Parts: sequence; C-alpha cells; structure tokens
Amino acid sequence: MRDLFVLCLSLLMFIVSCSEDKNEIRIVIWHQKPPGEREVLESAVKKYMLEHPNVKVIVLYKETEELRSAYIISAVAGKGPDIVYGPSDQIGVFEVLGIIKPLEEIFDTSFINQFDPRGLLWYKGHLYQIGDQIGNHLFLLYNKKLIKKPPETMSELISIGKEITKDIDGDGKIDQYGLVWNYTEPFFFIPFLTGFGGWVMDSVGNPTLNTEATVKALKFVRDLKDKYKIVPRECDYNTADALFKEGRAGMLINGPWSIGGYKKAGVDFGITRIPKVDETGLWSSPMVAIKGYSINVNVDESKMPYVIELFKYLVSPEVQLEHTKVLGTIPTHKKALESEIVKGDPLIQASISQMEVGRQMPVVPELRAIWDAMRPYYQAVLGGTISSEEAAEKMQQLAIKKIEEMNE
Amino acid sequence: MNEKVKKILIDFSAYLFLIIFTTLTVYPVLNVISISLRPADKLLSTSLSIIPDGASLNSYISLFTQTPFLRWLFNSTFVSVVVMITGVTLASTAGYALSRFKFFGKKAVMIGILITQMFPATMLLLPLYIMLIKLKLLNSYLGVIIVYTSTALPFCVWQMKGYYDTIPVSLEEAARIDGCNQFQAFYKVVFPLALPALVITALFSFMSSWAEYVVAAQILQEPELYTLAIGLKQFESSMATQWGLYAAGSLVVSIPAVLLFLFLSRYLISGLTLGSVKG
Amino acid sequence: MNKGRNIFIVAFLLPAVIVMFGVIVYPFIYNIVISLSNMSLRHFRDWRIIGLRQYVKVFSEEIFYSVFFKTLIWTFVNVSFHVVIGVFLALILNKKSLKFKPIFRTLLILPWAIPQVITALTWRSMFNFEYGAINIFIAKYLNLSPVEWLLRPFEAFTACIITNVWLGFPFMMVVALGGLQSIPQELYEAAEIDGASAWQKFKNITLPFLRPVMAPAITLGIIWTFNNLNIVWLVSNGGEPGDQTHILVSYVYKAAFNLYRYGYASALSVVIFLILLAIGLYFLKKTRAVESVYE
Repeated sequence: MRDLFVLCLSLLMFIVSCSEDKNEIRIVIWHQKPPGEREVLESAVKKYMLEHPNVKVIVLYKETEELRSAYIISAVAGKGPDIVYGPSDQIGVFEVLGIIKPLEEIFDTSFINQFDPRGLLWYKGHLYQIGDQIGNHLFLLYNKKLIKKPPETMSELISIGKEITKDIDGDGKIDQYGLVWNYTEPFFFIPFLTGFGGWVMDSVGNPTLNTEATVKALKFVRDLKDKYKIVPRECDYNTADALFKEGRAGMLINGPWSIGGYKKAGVDFGITRIPKVDETGLWSSPMVAIKGYSINVNVDESKMPYVIELFKYLVSPEVQLEHTKVLGTIPTHKKALESEIVKGDPLIQASISQMEVGRQMPVVPELRAIWDAMRPYYQAVLGGTISSEEAAEKMQQLAIKKIEEMNE
Repeated sequence: MNEKVKKILIDFSAYLFLIIFTTLTVYPVLNVISISLRPADKLLSTSLSIIPDGASLNSYISLFTQTPFLRWLFNSTFVSVVVMITGVTLASTAGYALSRFKFFGKKAVMIGILITQMFPATMLLLPLYIMLIKLKLLNSYLGVIIVYTSTALPFCVWQMKGYYDTIPVSLEEAARIDGCNQFQAFYKVVFPLALPALVITALFSFMSSWAEYVVAAQILQEPELYTLAIGLKQFESSMATQWGLYAAGSLVVSIPAVLLFLFLSRYLISGLTLGSVKG
Repeated sequence: MNKGRNIFIVAFLLPAVIVMFGVIVYPFIYNIVISLSNMSLRHFRDWRIIGLRQYVKVFSEEIFYSVFFKTLIWTFVNVSFHVVIGVFLALILNKKSLKFKPIFRTLLILPWAIPQVITALTWRSMFNFEYGAINIFIAKYLNLSPVEWLLRPFEAFTACIITNVWLGFPFMMVVALGGLQSIPQELYEAAEIDGASAWQKFKNITLPFLRPVMAPAITLGIIWTFNNLNIVWLVSNGGEPGDQTHILVSYVYKAAFNLYRYGYASALSVVIFLILLAIGLYFLKKTRAVESVYE
C-alpha cells in the first residue's frame, strides 16, 4: 500500500515537471465567451500560433461571474492571465483594485482611432478595455410564423400579445404566449424603466430609483403579467428560451448571445427594437455594453511586446468579422463596420438599430449594489406582495445602504 | 400458516415501498436523460415525455469526438483513485489508533478533526489559493490531491474508528497470545473484519473528488489538467449553456461512480464480517 | 514496551492528522485575521485591523437572525429525513429474503453519483409552475391546485429541502448498510427465541450497533448540510424570490462575492463556525459518539 502511494507521488512530480518548456513564450487568455463564439476565438488563436511558432497561446474559459472572482484573486496575488476578456462592467471593479493596465499608455493614438468610439471603454480618464464587439444589449425577437409585423409601440405589443396568447388544444392551459422573457432579472427590466424616462443612477453613481418613472415601469411590467396576461406566470431565462425555441412564444426579449441557439433550433425569427412607450413617446433603451480585452498589470516587461502583438491581432477587423459571420455580433473596428457582411445582414442591422437607441451601461462597481437592491423588491412587485410605489422607495433605500456598505 | 402469510405480506410491502421509492428517486434522472437527448439545448420542455421529439444521440457523439472528454476522464480518474487509495490508507490506520488507544490529547484530536469541516468553504478559497502559490502546488495534480484528501479524511477517520469500535478487542488479544505483534494483529485480524467500513471510506473518498468543481477550478489552470467537473463547466455559460452536452456529460460522468459502487457493494455486504464470526 | 506503543500510535495517526490540519490551518487563521479587518473593495490591499466592528455589524442586522433560524430548520429537517429514509432503506435492503437487491441498490445511489449541478437544475425545472412535473402530477393525479413553488418564500424553501433530501439519503443508506453488517447474527437469533418483537429487536440490538457507525455520518451530515451552499443557490436561483431563500452560507457568498465585503463575510463565516462548533459539540455529547459500543 505505502509503496504504491510513493510510486504515485513520484509519478505525479514527474508529470508536473514535464509540462514546462523554457524556450517558448506562453501567453494566457481568460475569457467568458459562450459556446459558438469560443470556437471562433480558438481557431483565430490557432492561426496566430501557426504564424508565430515561438508563441504558445493558452485560452481558458471561465463563466462570467467566476471569471471576475478568479481574476481578482489571481491578479491581486500577483498572478493571473496576461489578457482578460469580458463585459465592460467588470472594469469598474478591476480598476479599483488596480489590476488592469491603462491601455492608452501602451497603444498609440493612431491605433486607438481605428475603432469606433463606442467600442472603447474609457473610465476615469483611462482606456481600460478595447472591445471586439458592441453588444450585450437586449432587443425584441419575434417568431415570424406567428407575427407578420412586429410592434412599434407598447400598446401594439399588448394587442398583438393578446391575440397570440391562447389555449390551442382546449385543455384549459395556455399553450402559446404573446411575450416571454426573463422578467425576474433587473437587467431585463431596464428597457421598460428607460421607456418611461427613468434610469438607475445619476452621473456620479448615486442611485435614482425612487422616481415616478420607476413606479410606472414596475406597474407596467406587472400588468403585462396580471392584467393583460400575455406572459406566463413564472418565467425565468431558461423557460423563456425553451418556449421560444418550441415556437410557443410570439415575442421574446433577449440578447445577441442567444441568436445562435435560435438559429440552430430552426426558429424563423426577426429582430426589432423594443417598442416605444406610448405615454412618453420614448424608445425603450436597453443597456449597451462592449465585451473586450484588457491587459493584466502583472505582465512582465519582457513579455509585453508579444502580448501587445497578440492583442492587436485579437481586435483586428479580420478576427472581428469572423465573429460576425458566425454569430452576428457587431464589430468595433471602423473597417469591419463598413464591410458587406455587416451591412448586408438584416439581423445585424436590426441589432445596430436597437443599439443606437440604447444607453451605455455604467461600469462603476456601485452598479452591482444597485442590481442587488432592485432584485428583491422588483420580484416582490411581480409577486404581488408590495405596491410599485413602496417598491421604488425601498429599492432606493436598499441601494444606498448597500453602496455604503460596499464602500466602507 | 399465519407465519407464512405474515412473511409474505411483509415482503410484499417491502417490495412495494422499494419500487415506489426507487421510481421517485429515478424520475429526475430520466429528466436529465431527456435533456441529453433533446435537440437545440433546452433545459426545460413543455412536454413531459421522457423521449423528446427529435431525440438524438448527437450530444453523446459530440461529447466524445468534439470535446477533450477522454482527457478529462483520465485526469479525474487519476486524481480520484489516488485520493481513494490515500484516504483508505490514512483513515484505516488513524481510525485504528483512535479506537484502540487512550492517549493524551485523544479527545482533542478527534474533535479537532471534526472542527476542520465546520468552516464555510467559500471563504477558505482565497487563502488556500495564496498558500498553494507559495508552496508551488498551483496547477498540479498534487495540490488537488492533497486538498481533496484533507476534505475526505475527517469523515473517513471517524467512520473507521466507529466501525473498529464494534470489533471486540478480545480478537486481537487472542492473536497476540498466538504470537502476533500489534501491527500484525491489526493487519491480519481487524483490518479484514472492517471491510464494510473500508468500502465506505473508499467510496466516499472517490466520490468527494470525482465531481468536485470549486477547488479544482481554483488550482488547475491548464486545459491538459482539467478534470471532468471543470470540463463540464465549459459547456455552461450564464446565458448560453449547451444543455444537451452538459446533461450527456453529467450522465457519463456518473457511470464510473455507479460502477465503482456496484463493484464495492459486494464487499459492503459480503458477510465476511463480524456478523458471521462466531464467539 | 511503552515506547513501541507510542511509536505505533504516532505512525498510524500522524500522516492523517498532518494532511487534515495542514490544509486548513493557514486559511483558517487568515480568515480570522480578515474578520477583524476592514477588507473590502475600497480596502483590498491596504486593509487594517479594526477590531470587532464587523462582528457588531453581523449581529446587528435583523436578517441575520431570520436566516440563522432558517438554517437551523434547513439542517434538522434535511438530516432527519436523510437518516430516517437511509436507515429504513438499509434495513429493507438487508433482508435476506428479498431479490433484485443489487438493482435497487444501484438505482438508489444515483442521486449521489450524478453531478449535483444538473440534478439541482433539473429539480428546479420540475418545480416550474406551469411546466414542471410536480405541479402537473399534483393537478392531474391528486386533483389539488398547483403550487407556486419558486415564487413564494415558504414554497421555495420547501423545494430546496425536497431536492436536498433526494440528494442526501443515499449516503446515509450506504453508511447504515455498512453498519448493519457489524451486528452478530446470533444476537437476533437469541432474541427470536426469547420472543422479542421486531421493534424490540430493532431498539435493543440494531440501534446500539448502528449508533457508533452512524454517529460520524450524522454529525458530519449536520455540519455539511448546514454549510451546503450549492442546492439552495441553484434551486432558488441565488435566493429568489427576492433574497428570501437563503441559509447562512448563501448569504455569506452573496456578501463576499457580489459586493466584495470580505471583512464582513469573514466575520460572518467565523460566526457560522462558532455556531456549528456549539451544535457539533452538543451532538457529540448526546450521542456519545466518542465512545464505542462495548464501553
């Protein structure tokens, strides 16, 4: 028994020591790209390695939340990947902890100007992230079989929804819904909030949740469920996704990451802007953010040139367009935006159109506190246990409290 | 006549209970199977049928041909088997010492072992990470094995001790009179009689490493070293999980665990125990 | 003679002890230090010791007490079910007269064998109001109205418990099965001759032998269940509805990882630890688990 153990130990040590090769440059990238997008990144990286034989690029996937925590832990401990990729809101946290490099000190202005300004993330005077896609925003998808002309205003949405929501096989249960979406998550509530003229915070990061706009938006969403009854009683992300894939939903509010799945499921769908709110005449503005690359502070001076070269490749128009071809993402490089691929695809054009009325997602760390404050009361309103007025007030109080706690 | 009827009734109700309970237990598993057969990656379905419309084995095929599943399988097997062997070795000996001997600090050790389990694991991750960096155990099998063994041992040591406690010391005394020393008495007499507990220790050590995710993800940083749990997580993405692959992968991951159990359960109730040793 | 004995003890005991304590000691001390500090997002690298202020915060939040209470209920309901079901199944599966035992055993171990994430999420989908299997079953076969499992706090909590009971009984079943093997058959035979009833046989023979074997499992079961973050988090989707479905550890998790309040989370973890310590020690005393059946 003991001998076996010792043998195993030595085998282990051997294996561990074997995996190092001193002559090549190792660059590690951490990302949270969903499946589909990942393969594009990996083949781009493979191509790069063929052209640069002395560089080994290791690409590791981590789920978004985990990526953030893991990066924080490793970078603060002096380690971590060389390049980290993710949505723009992680920058706020990384900046406070001082674990990402200001990119305007590394790349010159002419390079930076090649990008559409909406694809760059400037925060507190520094460029922290260069995006390879502008996206992460919600839009309205509709099943073309069920809806010929998508709604432009909320009242149209309600009437179309009512027409579609029905019990088809007569068993007393509704088989088809007008609208489905992950309505319990605050991020998915934002379009309605903005449609009524509200927003989550002011220019310095204080929450602005206790407003009439919030109250009206809360009431409206609840009415969709309880009064007009065009959404299911219980609907989280996976339920909405499944219903739309099964063709049992007329409309769906979701984002660009999901299009690949619906194409694969064979749903004949279109994309359009989330409707205007009749009362205010405003378009619903979802939050718009980029997903992009940042560089770790811990990167060695000697390695930097290689990291820079890889970085430039990753955000190049060619690689961006590969993503667009496969997934319909909106590129950030000016050249890529001009290309036929982008201009000729109706889904991408629809997505761009939605983005143009969207509003930039704040990257300050306080946003997390605001989400956490909104969530319980938002869900309580939907559950019918408190009124919208009370919810708005309580959300505001809780947000202030949580931000205080976070910043002490 | 009454005795026979009574017996049949008891057996019948036992079967009935087993069948009902097993069905309840297995139903969610059938659901997982449906997810793995369902095309288009849907976690939910509005229909309750176990075999979904358009069922296909695509997920399973992709699992083996398009993902490094076999690599993950090898890594997990290696790690879990080593933990299993280490666990059994260390627990069987430590449990014996705690069962047979009184010594200074014994109660403290026993309670101390339990105490190591009480701290919420989530907060231990950050310092663990720092510690492993300093010891250069990051990104290695050894790091993972050590942490897993330390998590599995407390239960195993206590378990072995408890089981040894049910074996009367008189058996070892008889052996010593016959000329054995302490170690031989342990190895030849007591150890074989503790087989059911050893099985539980082995099974537990294996299971607590086999599908563990959090620690593995923290320590292993290279795709070549990924275990099954990390591999499975790759299919997951906060809003775009490949449910088909994920479910198929989870089911395939369970198979070795079930096989191990099947294999070991023979020894669990082998009857080669004190129960059948007379006087 | 004594020296040999001591060497034997050390040789047998030390390796295990080193592994168990070695891994935990540094993180444990680190956490205690952080719990006395103000480590948070703003003070991540430059944290200072601020004394017991975090602990004051922990105890002054009302929500602490209700979550603590819920955690106690969570733990005891779960473990009770695990043990009762596990022992009961073990007794049945130990009967010599039953056939097909291997098949039943194998099927009953599946909840333990399958990775928790997919089974927890599957249960979550089974609790879905409209499309979940449970409500469909309730409505169709029991003629009751469907339950809003995931939308109401009490029901959501119950849903988590049901899922966790399903996940946890196989472990107790296996341990009990092992324990049943240690019982000398002739004790039952003698009892039979004396005309003892089934219950008396169980109480006077089975239980005393099961106790030392089950005691570690139960004590540790209590500790693990108390700290089991996974199930509550996955089934309720992070505490829904409205952050009401929490046990202490999921609450710690949210504090630490969503809002980066590491000092606070460490203090809360230390408090959880102390609570468990008290419960654990109490249980040990009650079950006399440190002693053996022959003492």
